Amino acid sequence: MVSIQRSSQKSYPLYFGLPAIAVFATLFLVPTITSFYYSLTNWNIHARTTEFIGLENFRRLFADKKLVAAIWHTLVYAGSVTVLRNTFGLIIAMMLNMKIRGRNVLRTVIFLPFVIAPIVIGYLFTALYHPGHGLINQLLRGCGLSFMAIDWLNDPRYALMSTILVDIWRTTGFAMVIFLAGLQLIPKELYESADLDGAGAWSRFRHVTFPLLASSLTVNMVISLIGTMKVFVMILVLTNGGPGYATQVFNTYIMSAFSIGRYGYATAANLLLFVMITVIGMPVLFVLRRREVEL
Amino acid sequence: MIGTRARATMWIVQIAAILIAAIVIIPFLMILLNSFKGIREAALFRLSLPTEWVFSNYVKVLSTSHIARGFANSLFICGSVVVLGNLFGAMAAFLIQRRGGRLKLLYTTFILGLILPVSIIPTIKLMMQLGIHNTYLGIILFYTATALPFTVFLLTGFLKSIPREMDEAALVEGSSFFRLFFQIIMPLISPALITVTIVVTVNTWNDFFAPFYLISDSRKWTIILQIFSFMSQYQTNWGLVFAFMVIVVSPVLIIYLVLQKHILAGLTAGSVKG
Repeated sequence: MVSIQRSSQKSYPLYFGLPAIAVFATLFLVPTITSFYYSLTNWNIHARTTEFIGLENFRRLFADKKLVAAIWHTLVYAGSVTVLRNTFGLIIAMMLNMKIRGRNVLRTVIFLPFVIAPIVIGYLFTALYHPGHGLINQLLRGCGLSFMAIDWLNDPRYALMSTILVDIWRTTGFAMVIFLAGLQLIPKELYESADLDGAGAWSRFRHVTFPLLASSLTVNMVISLIGTMKVFVMILVLTNGGPGYATQVFNTYIMSAFSIGRYGYATAANLLLFVMITVIGMPVLFVLRRREVEL
Repeated sequence: MIGTRARATMWIVQIAAILIAAIVIIPFLMILLNSFKGIREAALFRLSLPTEWVFSNYVKVLSTSHIARGFANSLFICGSVVVLGNLFGAMAAFLIQRRGGRLKLLYTTFILGLILPVSIIPTIKLMMQLGIHNTYLGIILFYTATALPFTVFLLTGFLKSIPREMDEAALVEGSSFFRLFFQIIMPLISPALITVTIVVTVNTWNDFFAPFYLISDSRKWTIILQIFSFMSQYQTNWGLVFAFMVIVVSPVLIIYLVLQKHILAGLTAGSVKG
């Protein structure tokens, strides 16, 4: 028995892992590791030589109020999109889990924006948000809500909120589908016994539905947080970080530093994003590891 | 009494669900209707039929832009990443799952890639040093590297359901290791390979970030970069822009409607069981 196991262990040759390791190490791990070094240098398009400057880039980053704003906007964006996407996603999933007509068609439609390229959605909303003729303001004026017909993307008070709404529109269907799958795993008997105990709708939700969705909710929330902290193209096409720097986020900040050739500085900013995502992303790793044990 | 109340609830839910679906559909309807309007009428963004049907938007888009080239580039890059991601990922996952032990560390390293953002500027520098910046090979390998964490994660999990005895039986019967992997294991994990294919295709096809930084040669632009460049040029002519959007979105829409069951299942597969 032992000898069979040993021989079978050996019959899985290590070189089978080589292609994946080579590609992943070269194009993911190496740039990640060298980024620590580059972020400590003055590497830029004008200087002939790249010199080590210690923590100077980080000192300048934190002295720039645009970066501090970008950190704040990234957190607000990620937090708002995550909370609202999952709230709406859960509500819609529970609606479509009821025996209503055409629920498969409704599910297909509500999920649809998620498969369309975010850049297309971004341009679509520059039309929908058009202050004069955009469909949203047409609708608001038609309902006698002219005071709500604001300049969505060009007014610094509303621009960030407007970009957040677009991402919620785009990704709620994704959260919905995950919750729907979770809802279908809840045994019907649990609801039946809750009914026997005379539980009302709220109590059924609080004591049966919600606890049993807890694990998919956790995964959903954290995956969503990580994705939204990397937001880039949506902001780029909707507002390009403006007006002023009212919607500047990490990745647009990095892009503008990159485009004027401040490579070391931009890499340092990227490293800050890296740290922020790691701190918030560790729970994901924990959840994934726990799932691995269960398998 | 309870019956009427329940029925009323059902009606409210039904109507609310249809309204939500309308919020999703109406913007797409707006694109379609306005793509057949002239420049002035399209700029009003109305949900009305065109007063005069204008087909020249489509003609102009097809003649001035490089949509066909963009589609071909996207298809080539996406296809290559799907093949390499599935193949390299399956090989690594098979090794990791079967040997275990110290290879668990390798697994954890791959998983880190699920969370951490790429360091794009050092990547550009490295690609220049390797001579693969601004090349198909460069972006294909970059996407493969970013796809591998998910691929390895999903396939390692799936391989646990395929008993080791299967391998031993095949090897005892004199099958070579390559035959075991390609003729027995690969077909058995095909449901997971389909999931990987769907996730990787959606992510790669729709991605803007990587080609924006890694490809400056316009002949190698993916369809997503063609959109970016077209919009920067024509954003004031909405009729043209909407016609462009219809052409770009249609293939994705058709594939989604045909394969929606698989796509929905595939895109959520990685996160449901958590």
